[in-house]
Amino acid sequence: QDVTLNLHQFLPAQANVPKLILDVWADAIEADSDGRIQINRFPSMQLGGVPPELMDQAIDGVADIIWTVVGYTPGRFPRTEVFELPFFVSDAAAASSAYWQMYERHMRDTEFRDVHVLGTWVHGPGVIHSQAPITAPEDMTGVKARGASRMVNQLLGELGATPVGMPVPAIPEALSKGVVDAVTIPWEVTGGLKVPELVSNHTEFEGNMLYTLTFVLAMNPDSYAALPDDLKAVVDANSGLEFSVNAGRIQQDADAPARAVAVARGNTITTITDPSDWVAKTAPIYTAWIAEMEAKGIDGQALIDEAKALMAAHGN
Amino acid sequence: MTPLEIGAWSFPALLVLIFLRVPIGLAMFSTGFVGLYLVTGSTNLALARLKSESFTTFSNYSLSIVPMFLLMGYFATVGGMSQALFKAAEGFLGHRRGGVAMAAVGACAGFGAICGSSLATAATMGRTALPELRRYGYSGGFSTATLAAGGTLGILIPPSVILVIYAILTEQNIAKLFLAALAPGLLAAAGYMLTISIYVRLYPNAAGTKPAVPWAQRFDALWRVWPVLMVFLTVVGGIYGGIFTPTEGAAVGAMGTALIALNKGGLSGRVLTEGLLSTAKTTGFIFFIVLGAAFYNGFLALTRVPQELSAFVVEQGFAPMVVLCLILVFYLIFGCLMDSLSMILLTVPIFFPVISALDFGMTTEHVAIWFGILVLIVVEVGLITPPVGMNLFIINAMDKTTSMIETYKSVLFFVASDIVRVIILVAFPGITLFLIAP
Amino acid sequence: MMHRAMMTVCRAMALVGGLVLIALITLVCVSIMGRALNGVLHGMGDFALAKTLLNLGIGPVTGDFELVEAGMAFAIFAFLPLCQITGAHASVDIFTSKLPPWGLRVLKAAIEVLFATVLIIIALQLYEGTQSKMRSGQTTFLLQFPIWWAYLASLFAASLAALVACYMVVLRFWAVLTADESLLETDAQ
Ligand code: NA
Ligand code: NA
Repeated sequence: QDVTLNLHQFLPAQANVPKLILDVWADAIEADSDGRIQINRFPSMQLGGVPPELMDQAIDGVADIIWTVVGYTPGRFPRTEVFELPFFVSDAAAASSAYWQMYERHMRDTEFRDVHVLGTWVHGPGVIHSQAPITAPEDMTGVKARGASRMVNQLLGELGATPVGMPVPAIPEALSKGVVDAVTIPWEVTGGLKVPELVSNHTEFEGNMLYTLTFVLAMNPDSYAALPDDLKAVVDANSGLEFSVNAGRIQQDADAPARAVAVARGNTITTITDPSDWVAKTAPIYTAWIAEMEAKGIDGQALIDEAKALMAAHGN
Repeated sequence: MTPLEIGAWSFPALLVLIFLRVPIGLAMFSTGFVGLYLVTGSTNLALARLKSESFTTFSNYSLSIVPMFLLMGYFATVGGMSQALFKAAEGFLGHRRGGVAMAAVGACAGFGAICGSSLATAATMGRTALPELRRYGYSGGFSTATLAAGGTLGILIPPSVILVIYAILTEQNIAKLFLAALAPGLLAAAGYMLTISIYVRLYPNAAGTKPAVPWAQRFDALWRVWPVLMVFLTVVGGIYGGIFTPTEGAAVGAMGTALIALNKGGLSGRVLTEGLLSTAKTTGFIFFIVLGAAFYNGFLALTRVPQELSAFVVEQGFAPMVVLCLILVFYLIFGCLMDSLSMILLTVPIFFPVISALDFGMTTEHVAIWFGILVLIVVEVGLITPPVGMNLFIINAMDKTTSMIETYKSVLFFVASDIVRVIILVAFPGITLFLIAP
Repeated sequence: MMHRAMMTVCRAMALVGGLVLIALITLVCVSIMGRALNGVLHGMGDFALAKTLLNLGIGPVTGDFELVEAGMAFAIFAFLPLCQITGAHASVDIFTSKLPPWGLRVLKAAIEVLFATVLIIIALQLYEGTQSKMRSGQTTFLLQFPIWWAYLASLFAASLAALVACYMVVLRFWAVLTADESLLETDAQ
């Protein structure tokens, strides 16, 4: 082969995202390049560092390609947070489509200027997994709850919980040692992390998602620039809008089997059919976010409107 | 040279540096740095990693138990708590040759279980128990070896972080793994007790004895240690009960022992200063080792040596038992140079599918659990096998009067006991599995 | 004279790190007590009082995790100069103990040069990292303070460690030239 690229990310190799999205993507590139590109995969932070450093690892060339949760680096990618607003997104594929289009319009030359972005997507509905049952916002008072991003932690704070920020691989240890009483993650990652064994209550929402997280698959710009044009074309053909929408859809589709595991274990699943109390309690996050964006010289309301319009237009 | 060859050559290079008296952390760091340069052809990658890696390694939340427990150990010593504890242990066990060492092994196991890190256990016990063992007339090498070995026991006692990680990587049930670790854990403790009694028979001068103490006096000594027992119970109970994290438990322990020491008038400004300085030195050298190991491990992962070597073992098509033994030997060797967690993360995803495909005459789940316990034990044995063993380095560095060679000699007895235990567990899977069998 | 001054600086830096450690221990204990108090009220079903107490700041300390992480990084960097000047680092002396005294002195000087080089590289790259974190505007999760604050504090201590290592190189070479190791026989215990 001509080129070896190192793909670094934080989940174990057999988790859904590496198995169903990243490996498939990397295999396709290896095949389409007739083996001229080899992508070495390093799961579980094997190349060193901690998950919040993945973005800088791509920028500095510690890894050629990284996949990360954008929210692990609070304050650096403000525009992506529009998709993390509470009860904002209803479908991961639609949101991933809007995310990529808005990345091209507003983020490529601003917050993501230091990396070559290959894909942008979001996960399925965020679910609360807890030791004690949670059926109303009041049940969250004083609960030590893990959130993956600044926005999710604000959401937990508004609900009266005590937010604890930590990357997803830290969850099993934190739950088994009582560091947290509840975690917020989509169903899809619960299987790999053994969450249904560690807690017995789950709270999910009908309609719009309580929250979602934004992901990015990014490449070191020099590693990309060093590719000959025909290999650049191979990478380009496997990346971008279509890949992002697919990734969002695949990740949301992976929720159902993981949920079935919790059901089979006899865990209690509470479905909030009327989330109006929850929506009311978390509404201040919108105004606060718009004000924060304004302070950064970003029109938050316009981003909200644009994202809504793009999500509504998806599939039509 | 291919990256694979560079990775393979890094082992002898590292050994040479260590035997040239280069500090362990520095040796690992330098090998990793030069290795990254050779693999990538420039220093850019190594330098880029260093922009954040020193900071993120030192700011690791789980590792912050190390300085906290060290400080706790210091307070326990100046407040007379360590002495009181050993006095109580002496009352019950002191008339038996090696009795106090046995008590120390028990303390190591208990402590390792709550803090979940062999490194932190070795450091804390080195701080508290080492001076006491020496005071009771135990030889330097025997004392350091006992504590280094005792520190590896905790990993088999829940909540073991590494067991949780193994469960996630192999999609096994955590509770069953914890249960399966119980009998091997007890076997390990029994093996170490036996080792101690054999050792003191062979070298009677290595351990002092005291005349037997009347029962009333024993219970009197026990009564005197209630404050420190309270602190210990709070820390242990709090961590097990899920009231706080190990790091928080360490903070509570440090605060509790500080208050007791203060109450006894043992904690003047001068004593506190000395405590902070001694904690600073020990913490500093331990974290420099951790940084060097992290840096070296990242390099080794990039060369794909662990991955390729595991794949090679797998491709040979040997009989199931041969494959298993090869894998265990592989872990024993790599355990000398890498920390347990990195090694498990790098190699279990490769070995596990192979092991579960082989026919050992058991269900897949049983094989998975049996293999997990064996791997866990062997990885920990790597921490005390000469010439390179993290626990040995840490404890030996805390006793300037004991040479490394004395520690090496004494620890071989414990390593022998470990190897016998692994052979027993390989030969009789039932010992591991009988508690979870349907 | 010079040596006493250097030793004082290293001890002072380690003590500052030690005081940060004590502050973190206190912070964690306060946080646990706040959490326990709030948990008890919550358990009794008194949400209103629990909420009021939370508003009064009686409850777990917000961001205790990230404060421990930031503070601990500084504390450990602050411990390194003392480790350096007292030669507290762990090493294996089984083969080198047979070297003649002058050979051992040369070896120790060479090792010290390597150590100084590594600590200088670490400090320089931490400077790069601090600048990069300053540019990127990355904050912590909960308190949302810029992460470069913690980097800058660590950089200060790391620079001192590099400086002390250079000073030790001078001492070791002095020992090679004069066979006078009096300054190096410090309290390594
Ligand atoms: Na343990
Ligand atoms: Na070893």
